[in-house]
Amino acid sequence: MIDLSIPRLPKLAGADIELGNFVLGMPGPDTGALASRALLAEIDGLPRARRVSYTPYSGNWSSHNCWRSKGDSADDIESSYTGGWNSQDWGRKYLPTNGGCAYIDLDHLELCLPEVLSAWDHAAAWHAMLRIAREAMDSANARLPEGRAIQVLVNNSDGQGHSYGSHLNFLVTRRAWENVIRRKPHYLAWLASFQASSIVCTGQGKVGSENGAPDVPFQISQRADYFETLVGPQTTFERPLVNSRDEHLCGTLRWSRGGAAPARLHVIFFDNTLAHRSCVLKVGIMQLALAMMEAERVNPTLILDDALAAVGAYSRDPTLRTSARLATGADATAVELQFMFLEEARRFAAEGGFDGFVPRAAEILDLWEDTLERLRAADWMGLAPKLDWVMKLMILKRAMGQRPSLTWDSPEIRHLDKIYASLDPSGLYWAYERSGFAERLLDEARIRHFCSEPPADSRAWARAMLLRKADPDWVDSVDWDSISFRVRDGGYWPSRRNVDMENPLGMTEAELVPLFEKDGRFTDLLDAIEAAAAGTSATQRPQTVN
Amino acid sequence: MRERERQDYRPPAGEGGGGASGGGGLDRLREQANRFLEAGDEAINRALANSDSEAFLRASRQQGGE
Repeated sequence: MIDLSIPRLPKLAGADIELGNFVLGMPGPDTGALASRALLAEIDGLPRARRVSYTPYSGNWSSHNCWRSKGDSADDIESSYTGGWNSQDWGRKYLPTNGGCAYIDLDHLELCLPEVLSAWDHAAAWHAMLRIAREAMDSANARLPEGRAIQVLVNNSDGQGHSYGSHLNFLVTRRAWENVIRRKPHYLAWLASFQASSIVCTGQGKVGSENGAPDVPFQISQRADYFETLVGPQTTFERPLVNSRDEHLCGTLRWSRGGAAPARLHVIFFDNTLAHRSCVLKVGIMQLALAMMEAERVNPTLILDDALAAVGAYSRDPTLRTSARLATGADATAVELQFMFLEEARRFAAEGGFDGFVPRAAEILDLWEDTLERLRAADWMGLAPKLDWVMKLMILKRAMGQRPSLTWDSPEIRHLDKIYASLDPSGLYWAYERSGFAERLLDEARIRHFCSEPPADSRAWARAMLLRKADPDWVDSVDWDSISFRVRDGGYWPSRRNVDMENPLGMTEAELVPLFEKDGRFTDLLDAIEAAAAGTSATQRPQTVN
Repeated sequence: MRERERQDYRPPAGEGGGGASGGGGLDRLREQANRFLEAGDEAINRALANSDSEAFLRASRQQGGE
């Protein structure tokens, strides 16, 4: 029976995802800095002004912005994109198209999705952001001298000991966040065990091993080699299975409503994925798991004795036969453990546990079950169109079958491993998608929608609309939960206006579109939004979803 | 960690390609799947013919991120 006294929130989801980027044809390694800056310069976003700001959540200084040099000389190409603040995270631009964001993180182009409610929308928005990145790549390459080309890889490892992240973000209650990170170790272990076993559905696959892990020809997860601890706030060393970064991005709501206050669970565990089913399941099954965890339905018999050891062992066995010890003393393969989580989720669904909190939960459950059944049956031909790691493994085995001189150690096989995820249309995933082999779960129209429009059901909608309505020069600073403007509307001095966007589920199209449809000055719009916000108490319960 | 013995199984008669609606016999599905795979073979051939794999791997070295 679901305890209705426990506060819960709809499982809004976002992502901040780094891409591999380098310039092929330039002498020397480490061309990532140049490549990332060239890519970012081709993406239109706001704010425009080049200034430095302090991000209170992470304590980082970052600079805006990264724009092309006005010179188009190929000889200037290297100097055109360098310079400026060289902090870890800089050049942040929010997109008036869809309310997402792009910036540079440690010489990687990083794409941030607008906040969405459904796993299908998350996958569609992800593919939309990749199309935006591909356009940027094509534009940047058109400016490069012959013989040089920026390559963008949608993966998590260069195969040479460097990993970069594909982070997901989920809205949870402060109470749930405290439970898993600070108060209840069995919650932490449960979540870690869920994630560790989920790689069979969500891994991209990788040739070889890194970071001192045991040698292996091929493994399921790109990230498994890099997890070295169970929990922690760090993301660039001793990576944790469960990240404890507390960056809520909800303004003052953080301090309201006690345990019902919003919090953001920052998940650094997963691989970058391209296959539609991998993308949908990655987010969808996490939404299910977090909804159960938030409702405090955590079954301690599903906990692995050592989730860190298990994720590596599971990853290194693409035959899926390896089992790991549970805390109960029983053994379970990754698929068996995932089935146990699925059964828990089915029971919770039967009580209506996901209603209003996870959109399309029944479809996620069916997709998850179908995938696990096929994995259990080793239906590789059936799974290859559906899961990235299975498709990649099939491609590599096929390549070696057709070229007997190639082995897992051959540079050609490692090359194919990388270009499976190349953003270039010649990338192997896209070739299989065009041929009709890759499963298509996402509606093409929905992907195109997110290339140019924000989601209607989160604050991303208002973010995009405000950035469109404002004169670009008025946009002073943008963050996920606020936008500041310096408006020049006739007075001598610019007036400073701030729009709080603290509720991730608020300021939706349904709430605000009448205000945006009125003619009037921009400041009138801001006044109306402020008045509407004042009429909405911060202590009201956030809406649930259908 | 231990390995499970694989139980004898029969893969389900399923789709050949992910996007294909199937229907028809297993031979037709196999033929369809082979057509899809041959299209992918062209991509593999192009990738390996047009570039120096070792040079690609050297150039692809990244900074660690996150």
